[in-house]
Amino acid sequence: MSTSPRKRPAPDVLIAGLVVVILVALVLAVFLTGWGKTLYPPDAVTQQARDVRGLYDIVFAIGVAIFLLVEGLIVWSVLRYRRRPTDTELPAQTHGNNLVEVIWTVIPTAIVLYMFVISWQTLNYVDAVSASPDIRIHAIAGQFQWQFEYLDRDGKKVASQLAPAYDAETGAGGMAVPVGRSVQVTLDSPDVIHAFYVPRFLFKRDVIPGQTNTFEFTVDAAEAGQVFRGQCAELCGTGHRSMLFSVIALSQSDYDTWLKALIEKSNATPAPLPSGTVLNVTAEGIKFDAASLEVPADAPFAIAFSNKDPAGVPHDVDIRDSSGTVVENQETINGGTSANYAYTPLPAGTYMFFCSIHANMTGTLTVK
Amino acid sequence: MATHALNPAAATYSRGRLYEWLTTTDHKKIGIMYVINSFLFFLIGGVLALVVRTELAAPGLQFLTDEHVYNQMFTMHATMMIFLFVIPMLAGLGNYIVPLQIGAPDMAFPRINALSLWMLPLGGILLVSSFFTGGTAAAGWTSYPPLSLDGPLKSPGSGQDLWIVSLVLIGTSSILGAINFLVTIFKMRAPGMTLFRMPIMVWTVLVTSVLVLMATPVITSALVMLFIDRNYGGTFFDPFGGGSAVLYQNIFWFYSHPAVYVMILPAMGVISEVLPVFSRKPLFGYKAFIFATAGIGALGFSVWAHHMFTTGSVFLPFFSLLTFLIAVPTGVKMFNWVFTLFRGQLTFSTPLIFAIGFLSMFLIGGINGAFSASVPVDFALHDTYWVVAHIHYVLFGGSVFGIFAGLYYWFPKMFGRMLDEGLGKVHFVLMFIGFNLTFFPMHMLGLQGMPRRIADYASDAGWNDWNMAATIGGFLIAASILPFIWNVFVSLRNGKIAGDDPWEGNTLEWATASPPPPYNFDHLPEIRSERPVFDARHAQTGH
Repeated sequence: MSTSPRKRPAPDVLIAGLVVVILVALVLAVFLTGWGKTLYPPDAVTQQARDVRGLYDIVFAIGVAIFLLVEGLIVWSVLRYRRRPTDTELPAQTHGNNLVEVIWTVIPTAIVLYMFVISWQTLNYVDAVSASPDIRIHAIAGQFQWQFEYLDRDGKKVASQLAPAYDAETGAGGMAVPVGRSVQVTLDSPDVIHAFYVPRFLFKRDVIPGQTNTFEFTVDAAEAGQVFRGQCAELCGTGHRSMLFSVIALSQSDYDTWLKALIEKSNATPAPLPSGTVLNVTAEGIKFDAASLEVPADAPFAIAFSNKDPAGVPHDVDIRDSSGTVVENQETINGGTSANYAYTPLPAGTYMFFCSIHANMTGTLTVK
Repeated sequence: MATHALNPAAATYSRGRLYEWLTTTDHKKIGIMYVINSFLFFLIGGVLALVVRTELAAPGLQFLTDEHVYNQMFTMHATMMIFLFVIPMLAGLGNYIVPLQIGAPDMAFPRINALSLWMLPLGGILLVSSFFTGGTAAAGWTSYPPLSLDGPLKSPGSGQDLWIVSLVLIGTSSILGAINFLVTIFKMRAPGMTLFRMPIMVWTVLVTSVLVLMATPVITSALVMLFIDRNYGGTFFDPFGGGSAVLYQNIFWFYSHPAVYVMILPAMGVISEVLPVFSRKPLFGYKAFIFATAGIGALGFSVWAHHMFTTGSVFLPFFSLLTFLIAVPTGVKMFNWVFTLFRGQLTFSTPLIFAIGFLSMFLIGGINGAFSASVPVDFALHDTYWVVAHIHYVLFGGSVFGIFAGLYYWFPKMFGRMLDEGLGKVHFVLMFIGFNLTFFPMHMLGLQGMPRRIADYASDAGWNDWNMAATIGGFLIAASILPFIWNVFVSLRNGKIAGDDPWEGNTLEWATASPPPPYNFDHLPEIRSERPVFDARHAQTGH
């Protein structure tokens, strides 16, 4: 450099310097503050996920190495080869170099072939389904709720879970699976495309109407008692973001207890209709058959509710008051089934009845 | 030649300036109108993105309380950015530059050229009109059936139909444009302009046109089938009527993956013009670059199903292998560009800065794409914000930075005046920081399990900080556009006079006046290499 140290640097240098400082600051911020961990997937909880994680780590390492090499070359060229006032002659007019061009074709080809082969190997393990898994679950994703049917070894349904979110207080709801056992899930949709996605499984699979997809996983034994979030990952309409579910990992004995309770609940006869006012409400084609209902004030009443939509389309009849507070919350029922909902007495006023799954299904409830 | 006298009235007949522009068949005026039209939709699409980012800034539905409106916002954002901004913007730059770079007086079919231009605002107006006719399409820019079919909780209403009609119009415009480019490039090159002396920009437009010509009719067929399903009782894509939902995805991506190359190849062409000029060196490996471009174009037709790895109905190893392989020609190009800078004499004018921004950001977009080529990793990342990060590093970090490099580079040619360098650098710095602040955190969000296209998320999911960062970044990007617009308005009137060749360019557009006359060239320099203007400038010095 012929310039003296006190001379102000050119604006070009300032900008190049700024870009470098920002890049370095970003990289440092990510790796020094613990954010570096966020560049990796969350800890894997299934055997399959651990394989995917191992693969991710290799792909990530190769990616970072290539990034540092090429970005380093760019930054270095930018800093080193600025045009200086003394540069009046043209630089050497290099049109290419066959040797280096062959090298940077062959080496990347080898790298991507390697990545392909290890990906394929992992795929064969992650994507494998066995003929006789320990547990079979049939998951049905309908707008906008999940249902999990528990099947026996012959594929016959023994119990059905309609509350896909786990309730920590009552221990109810969610998709329970025993740890250390192979769980095979078959996926069906009665309406549009959804996707089964549990981030800590490092896995998702689309739920496609007219096509049954199958996958298998085994939760690590150490995860017993843990609850994992799951969510629909394929845009499925206005309720897409609320299609949540949870997977509960249980020890084999806890799972057996849990499943027994669910079977009992599934087999229980519907509660008899209480005396007093009983209304008939039917849901069909994602619509209630009534736009307005009327019940007497301060007296219990019931709704004999029939869901005539196809299996996989759940509905219920909840009630909220004029301020929007939900005052009655019933459990959803599956398409093709019916239930008797009993409601506690309400003071006189105007309310709204609605389906908790489908925002467009509403009506007026007059209490007087 | 002059066998009859000109009608005297024709000589004195003068058109109004507006009438002149509305009826022109001059490729340069058409190119400029392409650019302006595309930029307007870039602004609308950008505002829609800000609406989405504002809603996602914090958990809870604060701003768009109706999720259906949220779904409309991101659907329209992507549709406009892809079909009404990036693709036509690059077609517009090509329209202006390609005839000049091959020494032609105009495009081969000037009136068809005007037709393909005017179909764009028509398609755009149809699309925008759905905001006022009961709501726009809301099934995502991919519009997968059955969600995009008619029915309650699916896509009732005319918005989805207007979306289909609009895309068919825009697609037809693309096909006409592609034919026009191909005929122009093959039949109208100046004497001496052999195929292997054509500027890289022309080569990328050539390959892009082949892609458009082969792929666009395919998506048109999908759109027509979707329209029949929605309006005339068809069941092509209705699984409950004997159709197949996945069939649509196959057809859609058979177009839409090559469409990614339609959106990136001409931007690569721009970069390949800018880097040599501002390094004062030829492009390193000119022929290798052309073969790599053709290779990307060919491979581009065999990777579509990598968008469908999680559908369970794709032959995974085949599409995984070809997706990995497409990284090779892309990598070749990256090294060609970097070695063009290497041992050059770099002048950091705004076009070069944007070009280097392209290199750095497109590099990330290429690397994070390899994650999705690895099928098991894609099982984890597909349909999460990781994919949103990837597509924006390619289409914003790549295409948009390339587009701005091109606009700063060719503005002096188009209007005869220079853009202000200071404002240009402010634009770049703001955009570069805003871009990374918006889209880099999306990698983390995706890894932590945030699916795309959700209007809201739980406050305890651990996604709050990165979402806030992304929203702040989004507004920084918006702010960066203001100095650009100001720059254009000021420089059109008061910018420094450019002269024919302000950058010491290599290619023929710099051998004529700025702006060029309607017939483009009074005379052409001799064309003995891919850098005829360079050759003419340095003829005496023996280079």
